[in-house]
Amino acid sequence: MAKRILIIDDDVDFVDLNKAVLENNGFEVETAFSAREGMDKVQFDAPDLILLDLMLEKHDTGFSFAKSIKADPRYKDIPVLMISAVASETGYEFSQEQDGYWMKTDGFVPKPVEPDVLMQKINALLDKK
Amino acid sequence: MAEPVTILVCDDEKGIREGCRRILSSEGYTVDTAENGKLGMDKVKENSYDLVLVDLMMPVMGGLEMMEQVRQIDPGIILVVITGFATVETAVEAMKHGAYDYIPKPFNPDQLLAVINRGLDKRRLTIEKEKLREERDQRLLEVASEKSKLHTIVNSMADGILVINRERQLALWNPAVLKMLNVTGRVDSGVGMDYRKALRQKDLVEVINKAFSPDFSQYTIISEEVVLSGETPKTLMVILAGVRDEKGENLGVVCTFRDISELKEVEEVKSQFVRMVAHEIRAPLGAIEGYLNAYLTGVAGTDPQFNRQMLERAKLRAHSLMDLVNDLLLFAKLESKKVVRKKEFLDMTEIIESTVELFKVQGSTKDISFSVDIPDRLPLIEADRAEMEQLLTNLVSNAMKYNVKNGKVAVRAVPDGHYLSISVSDTGIGIDEESLPCVFDEFYRVSGPNTRYTTGTGLGLSIVKRIVESHFGEITVESKVEKGTTFTVRLPLKQVNEK
Repeated sequence: MAKRILIIDDDVDFVDLNKAVLENNGFEVETAFSAREGMDKVQFDAPDLILLDLMLEKHDTGFSFAKSIKADPRYKDIPVLMISAVASETGYEFSQEQDGYWMKTDGFVPKPVEPDVLMQKINALLDKK
Repeated sequence: MAEPVTILVCDDEKGIREGCRRILSSEGYTVDTAENGKLGMDKVKENSYDLVLVDLMMPVMGGLEMMEQVRQIDPGIILVVITGFATVETAVEAMKHGAYDYIPKPFNPDQLLAVINRGLDKRRLTIEKEKLREERDQRLLEVASEKSKLHTIVNSMADGILVINRERQLALWNPAVLKMLNVTGRVDSGVGMDYRKALRQKDLVEVINKAFSPDFSQYTIISEEVVLSGETPKTLMVILAGVRDEKGENLGVVCTFRDISELKEVEEVKSQFVRMVAHEIRAPLGAIEGYLNAYLTGVAGTDPQFNRQMLERAKLRAHSLMDLVNDLLLFAKLESKKVVRKKEFLDMTEIIESTVELFKVQGSTKDISFSVDIPDRLPLIEADRAEMEQLLTNLVSNAMKYNVKNGKVAVRAVPDGHYLSISVSDTGIGIDEESLPCVFDEFYRVSGPNTRYTTGTGLGLSIVKRIVESHFGEITVESKVEKGTTFTVRLPLKQVNEK
């Protein structure tokens, strides 16, 4: 059965494009444009992996979303892959090794996302599981 | 004495007067004579003499009294006394009254000339000395006024000045420094104190310390920003300039302080704006690149319909990027203080109608209907036509963009006291209360399911606000979610001069 991935990002182009990329690679894709919508989707039917943008609309951040996922025993094993343009904009180099423990994420991909890199990271996380 | 020497001979004996005149004239001197003290004084008041030869015993006014008066007029005139009583006592008495020399009667020409020439030598020296003294006084005066000038300049400078000597004592500071460093007291109060004691700001002391470190000698100037904490934190630009003697030995340091807090704030706002612009440009560029990449590599599949969709989205984002750049340019133009505003008396009726007409075509795709409600003979406003068109365009285009299918856009203009009130209402998606205060902020865009596919620069309303403010007007917004939004602009009416 195809693995299910939930993309949460407020940038509609990013969501649409990566949905197509992931579907083309044999995944089933759910999308959400806000933290609340994302949580609804997780609760409705938990995905195998969450692709999460750091900055969501309004005052939500990917951080708080990741934290609530990891704090919930039902969902804490779902890998969360953080994507963000913040690194290149602020000059802060995020890395899973350095920031994963406090970001509560399982991986990090900088924006703009290279499809190859994205697939590699997703597959690695799913294999580990 | 470049001018001819003039001598007054004052004696009641005609023989003496004429004898002296002959002798002295033959030496090239100009000679006047008077037969008593009173007549002599009349001449002294009229002419200037180098030397006065005066008989002590004269009628009407005696020699001593005359000498007294001559000295009052010009103490530099040489007085030589002629005395018939060749006694030491009268000579001493005359000297006490200011006579330079005396000559006892009877005298021969050689004796007279010897005394006179001695007197004139003295006169010459006095004049030279006087000249030198005058020059020195003049220079002292200049120095004194220079010093007070410098003092005034230093004390009225907006920049702070602090001079420290080699012993690390404050040698001088001005009121600006006291103000910047919150020092209470007079400018001269701290002078002589060690700066490390006089200045309480640790960071500042550390910077000044550098001027006394051994490696300072290789620099002529060190400048550094110092942030002073306190109720209102300040940023000071501190410039240290070493004062050195010809051997390069440190004599002290002149510190200049400039309060650059405001500059820093402006800088911060500016760089934040740049960061926001970069973020706003990066998002569409990232999307465009992603779509093109997916199209070229087939990473998102090869469905022709989806591929075409991707290119269309890429084109849309490219278009919005162009809009953004145009808005940024407009924004920069409005920001610039030198912007040329061509204000004229405008009837907004025509501008409103033509703007709405332009949008009617675009609006038809969403089945949006437009209405314009303007009374006849709208009062004029004084405004820049191009900016008014921009203002209307931005408001009407928003009213259309954030509207629903079969929605309405209504533009009204009506005089309201001293203002013209223009409102643009829509029956669109509305703005939630939380977002309402932010809509005029640069790059702020209300995000939500309804705006997801609507492109925008986030600058439209900031531009509107700036235009309104540059015309001394105001803008307000009212909105209800899912009911619609109304923007109301109030612009001052043309001033009517009552006759």
